[in-house]
Amino acid sequence: MEERKLNEKESLELITQMIQNTKNRLETNCGMPFLLWGYTTTLISLLVWFLVVTTRDYHWQYLWFLLPVIAGTGTYLSVRNQQPAVKTHLDKVINHIWTVFGITGFLISLLAMFFWQLPILFIVLLLMGMGTALTGLVIGYKTVIICGTLGALSSVGCLFYQGFNQILIFTPAFIFMMVIPGHVLNHAARKQKKS
Amino acid sequence: MFKELNPLLHSELRLAVMSILVSVEEAEFSYLKQQTGATAGNLSVQIDKLNKAEYVEIIKTFKGKMPCTICKITRKGLEAFEEYVDALKSYINK
Repeated sequence: MEERKLNEKESLELITQMIQNTKNRLETNCGMPFLLWGYTTTLISLLVWFLVVTTRDYHWQYLWFLLPVIAGTGTYLSVRNQQPAVKTHLDKVINHIWTVFGITGFLISLLAMFFWQLPILFIVLLLMGMGTALTGLVIGYKTVIICGTLGALSSVGCLFYQGFNQILIFTPAFIFMMVIPGHVLNHAARKQKKS
Repeated sequence: MFKELNPLLHSELRLAVMSILVSVEEAEFSYLKQQTGATAGNLSVQIDKLNKAEYVEIIKTFKGKMPCTICKITRKGLEAFEEYVDALKSYINK
C-alpha cells in the first residue's frame, strides 16, 4: 500500500475492507483466563471440601485465598506474555466486565469470611455466571452465553444444600461455566487463525 | 452538492490506517504494518502526518524489553473520518 490518491469507490472499498479485517477477531488462547480460573477454582473447591469434611476443621476454608493468588497471577502473566498487537472495543468492554465482577466477588467473599454470614458460593456462582453470559453476548458466542446463563441459574442449587456440601453443586457448575467456554474459545481462535 | 474530501484522508495508506483505528481501541505499529502491507518507513511517515494533524495519538511504550509504538484515533480524528465518509456519500449518491 502506498500514498496514492483514490477515487471515491476505491475509498469506500478500502474502508470496508479494513474494518472487516479487524471485526470478530479472536486472539489465540483468548479462553486462557476462563481455563485458569475454572481449573483453579475446581481444584481448590474440591480440596477445601475434602479437607473440611475429613478433618472438621473449618480453618481450611482460608485456602480459598489461594484462588486469586494462583489464578490472578496466572492471568496477569498470560496477559503480559501474550499482549495482542491490537485492542478492540470489545476487548475493553470485556476487561471492564471482569474487573467489576471480579472485584465485587472478591469483596463479597471477604465480607462473608470475616463479617457476615452470606451464602457466598451462591453469590459467587451467580456473579461469575452473569460475567460469562455477558462476555458471550458481547463476543456473540452462543455456547458461552448458554454456559454462563445455566451456570448463573445453577447458583440457586447452592441454596438447597447445607454447609460445605454446597461445593458439590458449585464445582460442576464452575466447570460447565468456565472450563467449557474456555476450551470453546481457544478452539474457535485456533480455527479462525487457520482459515 | 459535492462536499470537499479531506486531502489528508484521501490517500490510500492514511485512509487504511484511519479505517483500522476507527474500528479498534488501539493498535500497535506492527499490526498496522501487517494489515496495510506498507513498508515501515512509509507507514511511519504517514502516521506522523496523521499525528501532526492531531488525528492519531502515538504512545511509545515497551512490550517486555522491546520498544513498542501504539496508535490510537483521537476525537478530532474520529470527527474528520466521519466528515470524510459523509463527503464520500455525496459522491457515491450522485
